[in-house]
Order: sequence, then C-alpha cells, then structure tokens
Amino acid sequence: MENGSWEVLGSKGLVKRHEFVRIMVQCLYSLGFKKSASCLENESNISCKSDDFAILEMQVLSGNWGSCLGVLDRIFDNPKDDVRNTALYLVFKQCLFEYLKRGDASSALNVLRKQAPMLLVGKEKIHRLACDIISSKEMESGEVDNCLVQDLRKRLLVELEMLIPSPIVIPERRLEHLVETAVMDQIDSCMYHNSWDAVSLYKDHHCGRDQIPSETVQILMAHKNEVWFVQFSNNGKYLATASSDCTAIIWKVLDDNKLELKHTLQSHQNPVSFVSWSPDDTKLLTCGNAEVLKLWDVDTGVLRHTFGNNDNGFTVSSCAWFPDSTRLVWGSSDPERGIVMWDTDGNEIKAWRGTRIPKVVDLAVTPDGESMITVFSDKDIRILNLETKVERVISEEQPITSLSISANGKFFIVNLSSQEIHLWDLAGEWKQPLKFSGHKQSKYVIRSCFGGLDSLFIASGSENSQVYIWNLKNAKPLEVLSGHSMTVNCVSWNPRNPRMLASASDDQTIRIWGPAKLKNQLDNRKLQ
Amino acid sequence: MDPRQFEHIVVNDNDTHSIVMSYLLHNCFSETADSLASSTGIKQPAIDRDNLERRKQIIHFILEKKALKAVELTEQLAQDLLEKNKDLHFDLLCLHFVELACAGNCAEALEFGQTRLAPFGKAQKYVEKLEDVMALLAYEDPEKSPMFHLLSSENRQQVADNLNRTILEHVNHPGYTPMERLLQHVTVVRQYLTEENGKDVFPPFSLKDSLKG
Repeated sequence: MENGSWEVLGSKGLVKRHEFVRIMVQCLYSLGFKKSASCLENESNISCKSDDFAILEMQVLSGNWGSCLGVLDRIFDNPKDDVRNTALYLVFKQCLFEYLKRGDASSALNVLRKQAPMLLVGKEKIHRLACDIISSKEMESGEVDNCLVQDLRKRLLVELEMLIPSPIVIPERRLEHLVETAVMDQIDSCMYHNSWDAVSLYKDHHCGRDQIPSETVQILMAHKNEVWFVQFSNNGKYLATASSDCTAIIWKVLDDNKLELKHTLQSHQNPVSFVSWSPDDTKLLTCGNAEVLKLWDVDTGVLRHTFGNNDNGFTVSSCAWFPDSTRLVWGSSDPERGIVMWDTDGNEIKAWRGTRIPKVVDLAVTPDGESMITVFSDKDIRILNLETKVERVISEEQPITSLSISANGKFFIVNLSSQEIHLWDLAGEWKQPLKFSGHKQSKYVIRSCFGGLDSLFIASGSENSQVYIWNLKNAKPLEVLSGHSMTVNCVSWNPRNPRMLASASDDQTIRIWGPAKLKNQLDNRKLQ
Repeated sequence: MDPRQFEHIVVNDNDTHSIVMSYLLHNCFSETADSLASSTGIKQPAIDRDNLERRKQIIHFILEKKALKAVELTEQLAQDLLEKNKDLHFDLLCLHFVELACAGNCAEALEFGQTRLAPFGKAQKYVEKLEDVMALLAYEDPEKSPMFHLLSSENRQQVADNLNRTILEHVNHPGYTPMERLLQHVTVVRQYLTEENGKDVFPPFSLKDSLKG
C-alpha cells in the first residue's frame, strides 16, 4: 500500500503523486545517486521496486522455481498472452539448465512433461525447451560453478524485467523519457528552430527570429545586368552567380562570413541563366537558355570544356552532376537535343531523345545518384530511377518554372506560375503535395530552395522584389525580407551555415542575408 | 497412331520376367528371385550377391527398430557413403533417438541427442526436424504426441528405401527399378493425354483399376 496514492499533482490534477515520486526514485538510481534514492524511498515510503517484483527477485536469485512460477502466473493472468508464456519459458529454461548441470535428468523431464503443461505455457514453448536441452552446450552436465549460476539468475531477472508490465515494473529511465517528449513537442511548435544546440529545461523552448537570416548583411555589386541565378557550393565556402551580362562570378565566403569576388567567368556570348556545382566543388557548369554548356575549374577560374556550339541555336536550360563529379547531365528546351549524359572529357555517355521527351524546363539528380527528376514544359514531373528504369510521373495543373531537391534527397519543391510552391516526396507515398504560398509569381522564372537545419525551411524569390521564407510546418510565410528593388529571381541557402541566405535580383545585385543582430546588441549593452 | 490401340502391341514374356526379376533383386527378395529363375528358366543377371545380402540385413535392421546397427553395417559396406549423404545419416540417427525415447530410455536418449544429433542443428535445413524429434522427450507417451508420425512403420520404410537406393547408386547400380519407372511413365503419359483430349477420352492412370483388369 503506497502512501498518498489518492493525491494528485499539477494544476490540472492529472499526475498521481505516488507515481511521480516513484519515477523520481528510479531516476536517482539510474543517475548513480544510490544514497539519495534510498533516502527518498524511506522518507516517502514509496519504493522503486514493487512488492511483487521484490518477491520475484528473491525467488529467482535463490532458485525457488516453484514460487517464482507462481508469482509470474499471478502477475500475468491471461494464459493466451505470449509475453506471459515467454517469461515462463525463460524461467523453465534456467530451471532445466540447473537440473541438468546437477545430472538430474528425471527432474528435468518432469519439468517438460508435467510442470510446463500445467501452467499452460503452450506447445510451441515446450517443444523449444526440449530442443534447448539438446542443443545448448551449457546444458551438458558438468562442474556446477556457483558464480555462473548466480550470474545467469541475475540475467534471467533482467530479461523478466523487460517483459513484466507496469505498474509492477516501470520502463527504464521513465522520467528522462517524459521530459524528452515534452521538449520535442516544444521544438515541434517552434517555427524559428534552426540550431543543433541542446535545449534548456529552464524555460519553454521558443526560438526567436534571430535564428534565421532576416537582414541584409552585404550587397554584392559586380554584375552589369540582371542577376538570374545564385547558388552556394556544397561545402558552403563559395557562391556562384549568373547574369544576363553573359558572365558568371565565383565568390569566396570568408571567415567573418563576408563574401569576396574570386573569379569572373567570361566566355559565354549570351545571358547565363543557370550554374551547377560539382559534388566535390572543384568544377562549375554554366549554361543559358540560348547558350551552350561550359565547364570551369573553380580554383583557377579557367574554362575547361564547352559542350555544343553556338551556331545551331543550341540551348541548354538546366544541368546536374552525378555524385562522382565526373558525369553530368543536361536538359534542353530543344526537343531534338533532349537529355544527354556526358563525362567531363566531353564524351557522350547516354541520351534520351524523341517524342517522349518534350522541352525540358529543369532537371536534377538526387544526391545518391540513383534518380533523375525532370520537369517538362507540359507540366509533367518525371522521376526516373536510373538503376531499375522505373519511371513515375506527377502531373501538375499549372506550368512549373523551377525544381529544387532537399539535401537528404528525400523531397523536392517546384515553383508554379500560379504562385504556389509544391513540395513532394521522392518515394512517392504522398497523394498530395504540401503547398506554400504568399509570394508573387506570374510572368518570370522564379526559383526556390531548401535550407536551414535539416532542410526545415524553404526560401523563394518573388516578382515583388522580396525574399520569402517558410517553415515547412506552415503554408504561410514565416518571414518576408525587403531590400531588393526589383524582382528576386533566385535564392540559395548556405548548406553549411543555416544562418546565411543569398538572393539574386533583376536590380543587378546579390544580397547576403543574416540573423538579426539588434536584440543581441541591446542585451550586451544591458550587461555592461 | 491412336494411343487407344495399344492392345496390338506384343509383349515378350522374357521382358516381363526381367522386370519382375529386377524388382525382386532391388528389394533383396533373394529366395523369391531364385524361385522365379528356376520356374521360368530365365537367367539371373550377374549381380553382386554379397551386396544384396548386406542390403537385406541393413533394411531389416531399420524395420526392426535397430537403426544404429543399420548404420554400423552401412559403414562397413561403404565407408564414406553416410558422410556423402548427410540427410540420410541424419534420418537414421533420428530413428535411433526415436527408438530410445519410445523405449523409455530417456537418459540415454538425452545423451545421444546432445552428442550425435545436436551438431546437425547448426545447418538450418535440419533444425525443424530436429525440433520435432527432440520434442518427443516432452511427452511421457510419445505415441500420443503430435509427432507420432516419426514412430510409424511408414516412416521407417521410407528411410529404409532411401538407404537401399543410395547404396545401389553408390555401387553404380540404378537407384530405381524398371517397374517403378514404367509406372511413372504411364502416369505421366496418361496425364498428358487427359490434358490434351479430356477426361472422357483418356481418364488418368489408376493402378487399382488396371489390376482389376
């Protein structure tokens, strides 16, 4: 009989006092505070081990199998319960082991033939016991090592603990589990959560705006015309931008998070609308809507190879790399070009052409290199598994302008000219996409990207010159960033720095966004 | 050619006698074989009489619930035969275990199981049968257990046939008698004809009906 078992705690009276004390005792024991735990048990008159379990423990450790089985039979009252029968089976097994070690075969057989069936353990378990006798090496008669027997009895007790239900035995580390559940719930409803740091238990977890990029920290002015594309390298150390001034620029991210121009890539004769970093970040691909595809060396800024030529109205709308950084694939909005896979030396490996391949609007390869996603101008998204050749098609209802895959390769987003961003899962289990809106898009190609901790955020450009940020949990924007003076075409979130975002605009600039500093500065002043 | 017009085929007496003779020799009915030879005047094929007598002994031991003696004789006859046929070896040892358990000789059965049968348990394919055999220990009266088929004479006969066949093949004799092969052929051909032409035209082969004449 436990003290105060009728008392409840908490403002809603949902928590039973004696249960609360009992899990506290368990917690103290598991943290190693044996004296304190024992003290609390005495003071509260509530012990961690239930009476039933204390009895069971005594019987097991002294090998009183008959009583032990009796206790278990009482605890588990349903003979059809497999957990009950497993527990009984374990006890019988230990019992048989001890009989056989002593050379007492007839007692062992008696267990099998009389005791086990009497407790309705079930035919399957009895047969398994018979097999255990023969097949387990331990059961051969021999030296009875008392230490070994005691060890095995302790191990049996541990196994029984895992089977016996509460309240006789409470699950391990119960208090820790309850606290962790509460913390996870708080994190779940935290919209700005963007950091890996452990949470403090002293106050309810609630991240502030300062966790995500929301203010301009730098404006990059080097392009001489509209900037159409921007993308951070995979290692987060570089940024590439592409412009209708027919150049692409590689910028370096310095230690103080400021960016500095490294190389200007000049060679294209027409506007550059797309770039792609090789997975190892040593090479960069650039291409444009009425342009060829060029391969550059990142370190030196030197042009390595040109795919195609400008004479025949060549046009590559999009390109992507394979994980080996030596194979790449491009898609063309010219149906005759189709989709072609190359190696970096300029050899064609594979091609998809023909009537089934209309204009390619955008394409991407999953980080593991297994699937290729292509967006076609007829509003189809096709996901092709390159190994099995199985293809899945998603038909959207509005024209799609761009595609982006998450870092873990499990999800992708598409921008639709109906001013919605649709999020789909690559595995194909979702019947409907998650939808995000709030930005403006109707005439131009606007691009979005995943970002932040575990890709929990999406950012997008917009025709109203603002940058939009959503938390995946909510269809409405979390933040709207102002600064640009014209349409924002493209955004890129630094994969290694969840607090750095870049945006490219028709106003010829690139803006780098970072966390709001104002609150921290105020706090620092107060401390002084 | 109409398959129903088989009555025109002439069957040679010598052929039928040969078929019966080969069956008798396969199954070690040596005295009956001698009798048939003297009645019909056909010559017995030159077979290894020693091999036949041994096979006869071995089969009898199995049917008389003396599986371990059968194993001993087999090892004398062909040393590596049981090594090369582990499934058969296992079946024979199981028979011995069953004999011990049925005789109430549980302590010996236990020891035999631990030393000779347990090693087979390492291979997944023997585990199920091993469990069934071992479980006999859980029943005071094995005949009343769900595994009573292990005690049956049909089971013993099957193992005996298997061993007989294996020994014959080991000395490069055919493992199946022409009689068996003929019956198998007839069944298959009849089945084919039934499928092609329907049950009314060609009913499936039934030995019982054929024996009625």
